[in-house]
Amino acid sequence: MSALDLQGVTKTFGGLRAVGGVTFKVPERSIFGLIGPNGAGKTTVFNLVTGVYKPDSGSIRFAGEELSVLKPAQIARRGVARTFQNIRLFGQLTVLENVLVACENRRRSGLLSALLRSPSFFRDEAEMQRRALELLAIFDLDKLADETSTSLSYGNQRRLEIARAMMLEPKILLLDEPAAGMNYGEAEGLKKQIRWLRDRFDLTVILVEHNMQVVMGVCEEIHVLDHGETIAHGTPEEIRKNPKVLAAYLGEETPDEAASAAAAEEEAAT
Amino acid sequence: MSPSTLGDGARTSRAASPNPLLRRILVTLALLGAVVGLEFGFDTLVPDVALQQLVLFALVNVVVALSLNVINGMAGQFSIGHAGFVGIGAYTAAIVAGHIHKALGVDDILFSNSFIVMPAAILAAGGVAAIFGLVVGLPSLRLRGDYLAIVTLGFAEIFRLVIATAQTGGDVEGPIAKFLAYLGGQNGYAGPDRNGVPQYAGPFWIFGAAVVAVIIAWRLKFSGWGRALRALREDEIATASVGVDPTRYKVTSFVIAATGAGVAGAMLASMRNGNPTVQPDQFTFAYSFDAITMVILGGSGSVSGAIVGGVFVTFTVKMIEQLQRFESVQALQAAYPSLDLNALRMVVYASVLIGLMILRPEGIFGEREIIRRKPRQRVSHAPPEPLPARTEAEANPESETGPLTGKAEK
Ligand SMILES: Nc1ncnc2c1ncn2[C@@H]1O[C@H](COP(=O)(O)OP(=O)(O)OP(=O)(O)O)[C@@H](O)[C@H]1O
Ligand SMILES: [Mg+2]
Repeated sequence: MSALDLQGVTKTFGGLRAVGGVTFKVPERSIFGLIGPNGAGKTTVFNLVTGVYKPDSGSIRFAGEELSVLKPAQIARRGVARTFQNIRLFGQLTVLENVLVACENRRRSGLLSALLRSPSFFRDEAEMQRRALELLAIFDLDKLADETSTSLSYGNQRRLEIARAMMLEPKILLLDEPAAGMNYGEAEGLKKQIRWLRDRFDLTVILVEHNMQVVMGVCEEIHVLDHGETIAHGTPEEIRKNPKVLAAYLGEETPDEAASAAAAEEEAAT
Repeated sequence: MSPSTLGDGARTSRAASPNPLLRRILVTLALLGAVVGLEFGFDTLVPDVALQQLVLFALVNVVVALSLNVINGMAGQFSIGHAGFVGIGAYTAAIVAGHIHKALGVDDILFSNSFIVMPAAILAAGGVAAIFGLVVGLPSLRLRGDYLAIVTLGFAEIFRLVIATAQTGGDVEGPIAKFLAYLGGQNGYAGPDRNGVPQYAGPFWIFGAAVVAVIIAWRLKFSGWGRALRALREDEIATASVGVDPTRYKVTSFVIAATGAGVAGAMLASMRNGNPTVQPDQFTFAYSFDAITMVILGGSGSVSGAIVGGVFVTFTVKMIEQLQRFESVQALQAAYPSLDLNALRMVVYASVLIGLMILRPEGIFGEREIIRRKPRQRVSHAPPEPLPARTEAEANPESETGPLTGKAEK
């Protein structure tokens, strides 16, 4: 069974075909890489899966259900969580509040019990806070729970975004360039953490990332886009050797170079 | 990830605990006692009738500001036709109160009868305003933010002009035209017998409404619903990405704002020593603008700010009106007949707002409140299962740590 199934998904912006007939299946509980040069359409694929954009054609199925007819909030409630390439936190809200918003859709007590401050309101709120704080503790953010999220460092903001996404109790987690701005050591940590989250929470992870050290190190399967078209699909080994991929990355750091650079760095470190 | 999969590590959360029942009852009784006391002691406390009127009007404006704050402050939308909802509430309440008063058959405005008239007037005014809120908000809140501004402005002006320009004399045909004629056009509605809307809303009702509005606004803000609304204001796409439907929350907040405005309108229509006729001119764009000023001045999203803003703007408006008493101003008006003091008010406001935007762009309070609940001390335990990089970092603090540990950031 695949967790996510894209069939001929197309999206154009004006005359630009940002995503052109992309087809791939993401195996359940896998860590799946979606890579490609700048402007390849990776973020657009995330936006299509999460309902921010509607595809012009094609289908996106999640657990047998068509996602492209649903609204973003409905898709999120089905268990599709994401982070954003340009961090999108609720700036004026505290760290704790940021995470709490993600379980608002599961609150049982309604507006009326909030107005009456009924026992169920306090019970729900206490339970939500307990869970939020546990999650924040996993990400080592619990000590910052009452800080506004804008006051956090860049790395902490990225982690808070993942924590917020995890609060949804997702089945699929879409990470858009989580390693952006990380140094070698941080990226190594991220690899471990992605695997850990997958194992711990029985997740499927789809990873958009330019950092080849992370992509090659953690992904079990990789799909490569260029100018909105699929150019390759396979294991990290296959992708590394694929001439089309190498050509697409021409002028940029190729996956191969990145991997060998990473290996060299690793040697130097030990 | 059910709570248990996150581990059962004992942890005290700082979730607000319910007020003990006894305390709740005592607070309710104290507030009730205070408003009843004001009903009978207001004349002694504030002997000047003009000042009484001003205080009551300020309180009505506090309700207006608190309700507008839900949509403009908390939800981050921009409604610029709030006066329309106040007006709808005022007309509805005036009609309902007028007819009930007539049916009661007692000419005097008895405090005891106000408990029959006011609840009915408030419910009707809030209900009708809520329906209009839904009709206006549902289509416009689906669209981009600026549509709401245009639609609310259009709605408020249409409402006002339809009433103001209705044909009131001569033969009118059809139920709608008859109803509009009944509302009295530009001269306003003065009750079923045209001898004034019964003024049942004394200090008890108006102070009471203000207190209840503050409590509701506060509880809305500090609830999961208010949190989601504030998140929506910060980032709509991110809010939707965590399962909160932006349209639903925006529409709900807009309906709540309209309901509050409707209730404020009911108070305005029935205010003791107030204007015994409800007139379309009370609900011009200038009043919507006043309401926006109250919210922005006090601090968008702040309950305390809406209270301060509502009082401040009411008194400022009055002060500008009082300028007319000065001989020099009268002389000026005689010399320049086109000089409009209302326009002067706009100039003063604009200056105050511009000054505020420069000195304190977030308003007096920003989003904060006068009273801030201190987060309770939380006992923090090691997480049930820490992320892997963290344990490694603890084992070997020299090594660079992972991005999810926070220890590498400098
Ligand atoms: N809302 C939009 N309107 C118009 N064009 C868009 C829009 N979103 C994306 N595009 C275009 O679609 C193409 C694909 O963009 P996308 O953001 O998906 O690329 P990406 O693979 O995520 O690139 P990067 O690695 O730089 O993040 C780009 O040419 C981009 O300019
Ligand atoms: Mg991108």
